[in-house]
Amino acid sequence: MDAIAVTAGGRFALLEETAAAASLLALAAGLARRRSGAVPWAVLLAATAYLAGRAGRSAVDGRAVAVGVLLLLAAELATWSADEHPRIRPEREVVVRRLLLVAALAAASLVVDVLLLAASSVSTGGGTALATIGTGAAVAALAVALRSTRRSGGGPSPTVEAARRPTD
Amino acid sequence: MTAATPKLAGYAAIAAAGLIASLVLSRPELVALTAPFLLALAAGLALATPPRVDVDVVVDQDRLLEGDETAVRVVLDASTAADRVDVYLRLPEGLETTDGSNPTAVRLRAGARRELELLLLARRFGGHVLGPAFVRLSDPLGFVRWETVARARPQLRVYPREQTLRRVLEPRETQLYAGNTVARRKGEGIEFADLRPWLPGDAVRRVNWRASARRGELHVNELHPERNADVILFVDSFAEARREGSGTLDLAIRATATLAEAYLRRRDRVGLIGFGGVLRWLVPGSGVVQLYRIVDALLDTQIVLSYYWKEIDVIPRRTLPPSALVVALSPLLDERSVGALLDLRARGYDLAVVEVSPVPFTRPPDDEVDRIAYDVWALGREALRHRLQRAGVPVAEWRDGDPFPAALEEVAAFRRRAHA
Repeated sequence: MDAIAVTAGGRFALLEETAAAASLLALAAGLARRRSGAVPWAVLLAATAYLAGRAGRSAVDGRAVAVGVLLLLAAELATWSADEHPRIRPEREVVVRRLLLVAALAAASLVVDVLLLAASSVSTGGGTALATIGTGAAVAALAVALRSTRRSGGGPSPTVEAARRPTD
Repeated sequence: MTAATPKLAGYAAIAAAGLIASLVLSRPELVALTAPFLLALAAGLALATPPRVDVDVVVDQDRLLEGDETAVRVVLDASTAADRVDVYLRLPEGLETTDGSNPTAVRLRAGARRELELLLLARRFGGHVLGPAFVRLSDPLGFVRWETVARARPQLRVYPREQTLRRVLEPRETQLYAGNTVARRKGEGIEFADLRPWLPGDAVRRVNWRASARRGELHVNELHPERNADVILFVDSFAEARREGSGTLDLAIRATATLAEAYLRRRDRVGLIGFGGVLRWLVPGSGVVQLYRIVDALLDTQIVLSYYWKEIDVIPRRTLPPSALVVALSPLLDERSVGALLDLRARGYDLAVVEVSPVPFTRPPDDEVDRIAYDVWALGREALRHRLQRAGVPVAEWRDGDPFPAALEEVAAFRRRAHA
């Protein structure tokens, strides 16, 4: 996504390039020091670089779909990598499940983004606001649905307990 | 303990910033950039239900010998599904993992029970407490974490591996019960002691017919009975020299366990005195039970810094029978223990000292002045050994790596010469 921003050119080329470089730096530093808190900054800087590259262009950029999904993938993989302690050896099932979940998230994001951009490009005046509100509503509905599904499968919500070893 | 990860705050910040910026700048592309993060946030929080997992730690054998292996299992009982469970069992020094992953991350389905097995090698003797077991559970996308610590902390007692001694120091005095030591008194036994004229009441089987024929009157054999003896093992725990995970106290404890096993095998009564910052003693006893008592007491022996001057009077009388052989294992680093040993000798105890040499645990200095000081210290130790020997106490230096029976033999040789 930083490459897309850099090649787009435009009035804010310097800002674009600086933000792109800073984004890469933040990401590298976060991964090197295993600080997942640096990843959102890298994403924000990358988005800034993209936005700087789109300055002065009114047409809706279809590549935003790819940029959004790629940003998500990068953030997911980077935070996973940063949070993973080198001494902990996870089982294969744990890794595979997480990968599948990230892939599903990316696929769902792609569909949502396509629909959003399509909707915002068709509507006139207030299209962005509508798209924003619509996004929030859709996401909230999805969250409620997922939560209900999870709760009905898992029983009541208790807390983690540690068993006392029975004394001999 | 429940905690939101930095990822949660980060994604929320991205979502908020993106949506606000899209409204302000009227750029639909920003919605497209932000929507995936909103979606991830919603999905993550929706899937983040507090899990219910019971944790227990079980060890297969709670007593083993140095160098043996045992399995420890962290048992996870999941009432609800847990997408990621990180488990770490803290192990004390002296135990190391030879098989199994520690730490590890697993996934648990609802109702599942998993046993994570670790094979532990007991490198060093001692009383070890396993754990705690730290458990951290995460939601599928890593937004929320739950952390807890298992309450179960099993104990593991690792006993020192004893050498088998073929010969030990022979006590001078014996007791009244049957044992393997030839007593000096006369009675029923196997070892020939003396000849004397027959007296009414003497058994016919004791008549020495050859001597009787030579002397023209009946003579009988007198024999030495075999009796047990009292042996007190004296462990100096005031101070030790230590280097790279090993020290004089470790050697002393191993040697004490070896001596205890050897003397108890001969049916002698063995007692223990741990003379140091913490004073502990065991009244002399016999049998396998006494061996376990002694070894358990040794496992609890450690150096505790103390400036309190202790005399030998503080030890109860019945722990130090007057006719007992006292075998002391000491690095002779603390004046209090040296004073106690000389005091024992002055009170007439049959005392033998094995000096557990601290020299292998020191590093000769490079600096010339320090080297002179080191040499003076070594000479001081030599003088201390002579001081004890002049008092009639046999002392032998035993260094790490040298066979323990060799040091015992040196002490025995001194006792033989002194007796002669």
